[in-house]
Amino acid sequence: MTSLSSAVKPVRSVGDFFAMSLDTFVIMFKPPFAWREFLLQTWFVARVSIVPTLMLTIPFTVLIVFTLNILLIEFGAADFSGSGAATAAVTQVGPVVTVLVIAGAGATAMCADLGSRTIREELDALRVLGINPVQALVVPRVLAATVVATVLVSLVSVVGLAGSFFFSVFAQHVTPGAFAGGLTLLCGLSDVILGLVKGALFGMSAALIACYKGMSVGGGAQGVGNAVNETVVYSFMALFVINIVATAVFFEGPK
Amino acid sequence: MSATTILAQRFPRLRRSALNGVDGWNRVGNQMAFYVQTLAEVRVAFARYKEEILRLIAGMSLGVGALAVIGGTVVIVGFLTLSTGAIIAVQGYNQLSGIGVEALTGFLAAYVNVRITAPATAGIALAATIGAGATAQLGAMRISEEIDALEVMGIRSIAYLASTRLMSGVIVVIPLYCIAILMTFVSARLSTTAIYGQSTGVYDHYFNTFLSPTDILWSFFTAIVLAIVIMLVHTYYGYTAAGGPAGVGEAVGRAVRASLIVGAFAVLTVALAVYGQSGNFNLSG
Repeated sequence: MTSLSSAVKPVRSVGDFFAMSLDTFVIMFKPPFAWREFLLQTWFVARVSIVPTLMLTIPFTVLIVFTLNILLIEFGAADFSGSGAATAAVTQVGPVVTVLVIAGAGATAMCADLGSRTIREELDALRVLGINPVQALVVPRVLAATVVATVLVSLVSVVGLAGSFFFSVFAQHVTPGAFAGGLTLLCGLSDVILGLVKGALFGMSAALIACYKGMSVGGGAQGVGNAVNETVVYSFMALFVINIVATAVFFEGPK
Repeated sequence: MSATTILAQRFPRLRRSALNGVDGWNRVGNQMAFYVQTLAEVRVAFARYKEEILRLIAGMSLGVGALAVIGGTVVIVGFLTLSTGAIIAVQGYNQLSGIGVEALTGFLAAYVNVRITAPATAGIALAATIGAGATAQLGAMRISEEIDALEVMGIRSIAYLASTRLMSGVIVVIPLYCIAILMTFVSARLSTTAIYGQSTGVYDHYFNTFLSPTDILWSFFTAIVLAIVIMLVHTYYGYTAAGGPAGVGEAVGRAVRASLIVGAFAVLTVALAVYGQSGNFNLSG
């Protein structure tokens, strides 16, 4: 009997997760909307994310540009360094760094916050007061993470391009004009839109996972720690899958 | 009333930011001291706590709690590297076919996977699974005063908790990284040949021509450096967790953030040091 229930448990949590996500999307369009919580959460997620974003973007773009430039210089095509940098920064580094930051910084903080509220029984208190925790807490968090993730993608792209420009021009002696001229060769408006769409999807799913894990915490300090750990793992896995699906759909679709 | 008190009362905001600055500075010092002590006590951990290291290796490779249900660290690392390998193939094949050289996808897989994606992804996966798990465990121990109890019993807590975790992380990363790098190769080859329909002969030719054994050894070295750095950061945040159950959660979040940043810088530093200006890359043999 115990073996059956422990075998069914992961399936049940997947079901619970989808139920909560569905609730979130339905309630999102029902008044009243928790404006104050939404603004506070947007500010909160932005505050914990901005510094890690900058600190992660710079090494990753420099690494990619460095490796690509070795290749391009060998081909004798260092002038195309800008095209490579733009493609890498806008289509891959932008979304992936956003993923790492949103999952590693935003979602963990969110899950820790909700988890501690759950074990202090604040969510039960809300329910007793007749307030739906999904409406009061989950909806504003999910929307806040979506907004911040979308904005972060553009920040990452701009910082990434600036970083790769300085590294290519000053460390690897690429012509600045050629770098700037090559930027738009492979990478156009559609790639920027793809990056933004990816960012929005990432923010939304990371926040949903964090809220679900935070609300289903149990078992004291170790429980909260484990919930945050699982949030990181599951959101990384979900986000890598979304990344590959979105990239493949984009390339298969009409251009 | 002394002059400092008057100054402190006159400029409260200035005083607060000065104190914050001093706190941050001291935290950096404490962190360094913890890292040095952890590294120094690795010897003690090997001499006295062999069983603990073995137990941790078993726990780390399979994961604990709900993570073990989905297959543990091995499956998570394999899955993440599988998907990045596929990304390289999807993006690379499409971009390269835009300029008519999609035959070079195999080259891209051998070059970019080994140098960037496999170490970076493995680092991310390690931080999320083993690292965050260690922070959660140590944080819970700190909150429930188990670490204080260890010290009362005369056990060296840093050697017993942090150095053992550091060593088992380094040992576990070796087989894990083998899986990771194989997964990137397999998924890049499968998605290029099976999904985009490139002939396997073309792919294998370019892949084998440009796959350099030295690069793979350096890539392993990067992974081991990453494991050391990540385990150090995560054990520090767990060991110094404070503020009840919520504090443990926050510590895990802060540790993940810090170790991702430190890991990215570690990969970059190793890459710059190894490949340097020459690039260690020969197109024409």
